[in-house]
Amino acid sequence: METANWILQLLGRLHPLLVHFPIGLLVVALLLETRTIGGKRKGLREGINWMVYIGAGFAVFSALFGWFLKTQDEYSGDLVDNHQYTGIATAVFALITAIVLRRALKKAIINLKAYRFMLFVTVVLLTIAGHLGANLTHGEDYLTAILPSNKEVYSNKESGVLLSELKGEAKLSELQKDKLSLEVRGLFAHKCYQCHSENKQKGELILENKTGVFKGGKSGLAVVPGKPEESEIYKRIILPANNKKVMPTKGKLLTKDEVALVKLWIKEGAHWSDKAVKVFPEAELALVKPELPKVQEINHPIDKLVDVYFDKNNIDWKDVINDRAFIRRAYMDVIGLLPEPNVVNSFINDSNPNKREELVDTLLSDNQNYTQHWLSFWNDLLRNDYYSVGGKKQITHWLYNSLVKNKSYDQIVTELVNPVRGSEGFIQGVKWRGVVNASQRTEMQAAQNIGQSLMGVNVKCASCHNSFISNLTLDQAYGFATIFSDSLLELNRCDKPIGKMAKANFLYPELGSVEGETVKDRLLKLSEVMVQRDNGRLYRTITNRFWDRLMGRGIVEPLDEMDNAPWDAKVLDWLSVDFIDSGSNLKHLIKSIMTSKVYQLPMVNYKKQEDLKAKYVFKGPVTRRISAEQFSDAVSQIIAPLYPQVAFNPNGDDIKAIRIWHLEQELGRVVLPEPGKRYFRKSFNVSKETINKGEVLISVDNSYILYLNGKKILQNENWKVVDKIDVTRYLKSGKNTIAIIGENNGAIANPAGILFALKLDYENGKSMLLKSDTSWVSSRELPEGNWVAVKYDDSSWSKVRNYSTRNFKNWGQLLDFTFKPHTEKFARASLVKQHSFMKALGRPSREIVTTSREDQATLLQALELTNGEFFNGVLEEGAQSWLKKYGDDSDTIVINLYNKALNREPSNEEKTMILNILGEHPKQEQLQDVFWSVLMSPEFQFIN
Amino acid sequence: MDTNKSRRDFLKKMSAASLSAAATTIPGFSFLSSCSPEVQKMASTADTVILLWMAGGMAHTETFDPKAYVPFEKGVESKRVLSTFPKKPTVVDDLYFSEGLEGIGSVMDKGAIIRSYKSADLGHILHTRHQYHWHTCYEPPQSVQAPHIGSWIAKELGPANPVIPPFIAMGQRFTMGESEELKAFHSAGFLGTEYGPFLIPDPSSGLESVRPPKGMSLKRFEARYKLYKELANKSEVMEQGSDYQRESLMRSMEQSYRLLNSPEAKVFDLSEEPKEVYDTYNTGRFGLGCLLAKRLAMNGGRFISVSTEYEPFLGWDTHENGHTRLKKMKALIDRPIAQLVKDLDETGHLDRTLIILASEFSRDAIMEGRPGKKVKDQVNQPDIIEHEKHYGMHRHFTDGSSILMWGGGVKKGLVYGKTADERPCSSIENPVVIDEVHQSVYHALGVHPETHYEIEGRPFYTTPDGKGKPILDLFGNPMKSSKENIA
Repeated sequence: METANWILQLLGRLHPLLVHFPIGLLVVALLLETRTIGGKRKGLREGINWMVYIGAGFAVFSALFGWFLKTQDEYSGDLVDNHQYTGIATAVFALITAIVLRRALKKAIINLKAYRFMLFVTVVLLTIAGHLGANLTHGEDYLTAILPSNKEVYSNKESGVLLSELKGEAKLSELQKDKLSLEVRGLFAHKCYQCHSENKQKGELILENKTGVFKGGKSGLAVVPGKPEESEIYKRIILPANNKKVMPTKGKLLTKDEVALVKLWIKEGAHWSDKAVKVFPEAELALVKPELPKVQEINHPIDKLVDVYFDKNNIDWKDVINDRAFIRRAYMDVIGLLPEPNVVNSFINDSNPNKREELVDTLLSDNQNYTQHWLSFWNDLLRNDYYSVGGKKQITHWLYNSLVKNKSYDQIVTELVNPVRGSEGFIQGVKWRGVVNASQRTEMQAAQNIGQSLMGVNVKCASCHNSFISNLTLDQAYGFATIFSDSLLELNRCDKPIGKMAKANFLYPELGSVEGETVKDRLLKLSEVMVQRDNGRLYRTITNRFWDRLMGRGIVEPLDEMDNAPWDAKVLDWLSVDFIDSGSNLKHLIKSIMTSKVYQLPMVNYKKQEDLKAKYVFKGPVTRRISAEQFSDAVSQIIAPLYPQVAFNPNGDDIKAIRIWHLEQELGRVVLPEPGKRYFRKSFNVSKETINKGEVLISVDNSYILYLNGKKILQNENWKVVDKIDVTRYLKSGKNTIAIIGENNGAIANPAGILFALKLDYENGKSMLLKSDTSWVSSRELPEGNWVAVKYDDSSWSKVRNYSTRNFKNWGQLLDFTFKPHTEKFARASLVKQHSFMKALGRPSREIVTTSREDQATLLQALELTNGEFFNGVLEEGAQSWLKKYGDDSDTIVINLYNKALNREPSNEEKTMILNILGEHPKQEQLQDVFWSVLMSPEFQFIN
Repeated sequence: MDTNKSRRDFLKKMSAASLSAAATTIPGFSFLSSCSPEVQKMASTADTVILLWMAGGMAHTETFDPKAYVPFEKGVESKRVLSTFPKKPTVVDDLYFSEGLEGIGSVMDKGAIIRSYKSADLGHILHTRHQYHWHTCYEPPQSVQAPHIGSWIAKELGPANPVIPPFIAMGQRFTMGESEELKAFHSAGFLGTEYGPFLIPDPSSGLESVRPPKGMSLKRFEARYKLYKELANKSEVMEQGSDYQRESLMRSMEQSYRLLNSPEAKVFDLSEEPKEVYDTYNTGRFGLGCLLAKRLAMNGGRFISVSTEYEPFLGWDTHENGHTRLKKMKALIDRPIAQLVKDLDETGHLDRTLIILASEFSRDAIMEGRPGKKVKDQVNQPDIIEHEKHYGMHRHFTDGSSILMWGGGVKKGLVYGKTADERPCSSIENPVVIDEVHQSVYHALGVHPETHYEIEGRPFYTTPDGKGKPILDLFGNPMKSSKENIA
């Protein structure tokens, strides 16, 4: 059997070879046959006959082998089937043709009519079968792909309409001339710019602007006003398709109407309208509040509008989610934290019909937590992070305050664009040392960032050359950048100066002039031009971003391309106008969305990411992965604090002390400390007055033993913890000495440092603060003798090194490093410096504006979560503290875990599965694994 | 593919396939347009790349392109000093390396040297900018985040072995180096973190990154995953139907579990090596990185970088004590690199593994930047050297440096390009720029030179505008070294 199979397979694969014989023979036979019609060229008869016989024979074999190929090589599909049917039909008809021919020849009077007809049919079938076969091997669009018609999506029916409108006119009005001019320019844009634009000047011809059009190109004057016949353009577009000089050379030729339009335009004097030609679709700037439909029983304006949309799209309203799901969603969306179990329960039990709206209000009024959640959104959007570099100053302090105070969006934009103290960083741009591309000059960065973040328009392309993706020109981009420049800017096309100076303008000049003597003047004008009702784009852009944050997908996508069509313009516009009317109150916008029924619908699932892009139809909110910051904070809330230290401390009450360590050098250069123990001393004087209280704060990376005046006081191996201890009884008047053994862990050199503060309160109200600084001394070797004693001579020891400097900066500010009481139990992730764990979970590095984060999980992320040392350490710590808190009662632990992490009771089944692992009396390791399993579950990882 | 096809056609075709890859600023990777299959089916001469990264600026005149040796003596003029080491012959006739690199010299019959690499002219010298440029092929700053060459390769070719991440970066810690602003050279840029580097800062603990967490037994690890799966599958959320985001989470978790539970993780275990081998490689973290790179290359690594960690003023970044420091640096790299080449050659893996040694730029005793382009001096180098501290190459030189390559179809014993023997020791023959280096790597791997994605509506190529050309002279039939010819 097997032998037979391979033979059949081989024969099958000969099919593609064999098919060429019937094709060649039968087609030529038909061709020759036509030459014999009317009894001519009798000499051909014998040859044709043989061609038909052999062709028919091969056709039969081809069909047979084709069938082998299909069955043996397992081809299938409609195309294959169609090819098969037509192929078999060809073979059958070829055979019949041969038989009819044979019969006809045998008769005395030769009548070839029937045979000729059959041959013709056979060849037609053959052609179809052959074409289908070719599609199989070369792909279905093999032929059609190169047809000009398939490349060109532009079809302009306007030409005909306009033409018929203008034809009857004896004299064109100014308006008509304008229209004609714009139409022709639009034609140029679609048909000619490909080669004749500023970006690509084939034949030295530019059709993109007035100068270029009237200057002409290498072949002479493109346009001679009034004289189409002398105009090169007209001469070229009327040439026949096969002429080498015909224009356009690429794509379809101009239609009759289009040619007529160009002719008319030139004949009428080739009037040039100064209005811009919009080649790409562009959203209206203006914003009008749509009238709300009158829908009974629906109160919320958004719901009314969506109801109409749903009707139109045949979508049914689903029931809103329950209280439990709602409170969780609302907490995560407004303050980025999980609700405590008792809060959830009292919310559920609350019978107040307005409780959902009231909850949103309550959450929005929690200014600190609201700010610490939304800060991440703004940091991404304004590419602000906790460092300053190359003149790019961080704006954290200003931003934090703006959010806490809930400044209006108008004020925020005004202050970003025309900076006040603290907000300069946004438009400042990074000044790179060295040479940078002209399109990356700081002024251009400002233009790009404002364009992208605030206006939802891409200025990046146009800052190098006229954009290929929008109507923006190089001129406009430079004009925009000029606003921020204290000197005139020369236009650079693709980094080459073109000898043209820019004139200050905003991207949308119709909004008003931004010209002014000084930068300050212009910035003031810019802020006024941007922040006005007429600039609907500004408000649509932010509204759309907030919608995306709360609903999982924007009304317009991508969020930065606001010229794209919204899935429902009315929803977007109503929200935007309502937002303006609220005094551009961001919290109002959040509330408007969150109190709608639409927000409270169950999540809609999508099988493919693509389903959210093209042809998207809104059905409800989209499942959202919780952000790196939300995940970190949630873990800090329920398991153990992830981050003890912040990069920005809104309390501002921390003690500014530095981390010190033994100075480690290599050939005169400071290097990271090698692992191991180092010895530190610091002596200080206490005056004779009575001491009221002496308190120490200490944290050492990685561990320490602290001595005061020869006595061992404290030790700790966790650098994240700040130890606070009363040392009053160890102090004495006169000379006192602090001695510390510090140890750096690890296998390779890595950051190490002592952070220390001692506060002395005297009875007379005076006080003294001693901090870790470079006056401390240290030793690499274990000193001989009683080195912790006050009287020990440390004069041979060397001065310590500040390891908190820029190059070695590795620590943030520990929240606990303060003598004042404070309420924060952990550092909110949004305030923490970029960290590898959060980076893996998708927090961007904010070198450039980021307006949406990746929504799919990655392997690297999963690895970080599965075996990352950092996260594992937190789980371990959490398990220890849970066992301390809840004892070793598995039941209590499971119930608490589910309530805290998922805001619900575990099902019996879940409980059983977990108890299987935990046993009755859980050990730390098992508990750690249960934590992990619950935290990794989709229910925890997504906002559902 | 049809080479006559104009770029426009190519571009059109690509962008048609890409639908709306510009959908988001950082698009989901599945949404990036991918090259058509006909393009991917290109001949290749390598499957794996090992990049040995000499971070900090390695002086060519002190390493692989020695010039006239001027020994140290008090009072010697800086401008007289071209090399502070004598030159030593290598296995290839007429090819000399600086003293201390005899090991690498002994394997040059298996590889090629480019002596005419010209770094970008970025004005004022900044390591991180040049490193970014070398690794991404784009001059920083860029308005979109450019991906590292390793990420491009990870994206285009995927892992060679499903349980070994396709882009592994050893030696450089996330927290080290200059300001974060330029950390982009570490990242996958717009390709998305999926294609970012799997970081192994310390190769001796590389195994820990691919095993269950420290202290967790395999049994416990399996039980934990089982519980997670059960809980997830039973949860109400999963009953709501499939969702691509949830699926991607479940899929990634499973991949990660499989990888960490895979016996192949042993590849990362350096303790499996015989003691002599371990000791030969063990000159420090870099040497052990080479050892791990060897094991990865033999078992299906795709892009592996081993870096001498960059830290300002340390490593190759010699602002003073150049001579003394380079002795150490040479001792760090010479033995393990030579052994790496030998070991891969012996097992036959070198045939399909392309090893590259490179640095962001070179150094010089006098010239900062390049001839004709005066940039601000960053180093105080006296005219007369009185102290050994000032003996060495301390300024940043961008007009000529060396790149070494072995295996992966590269000609053997080839010396390509040349620098001047007198100061300035610039590239004077066959100058090579980064676009050509990248395209040569892509050429070896069979990645189409015009590979690109649409990002924010514009095509973004592996090399700027897709214009780079591979240096075809580097490849071809093994050119026997002259010694073999005689034999």
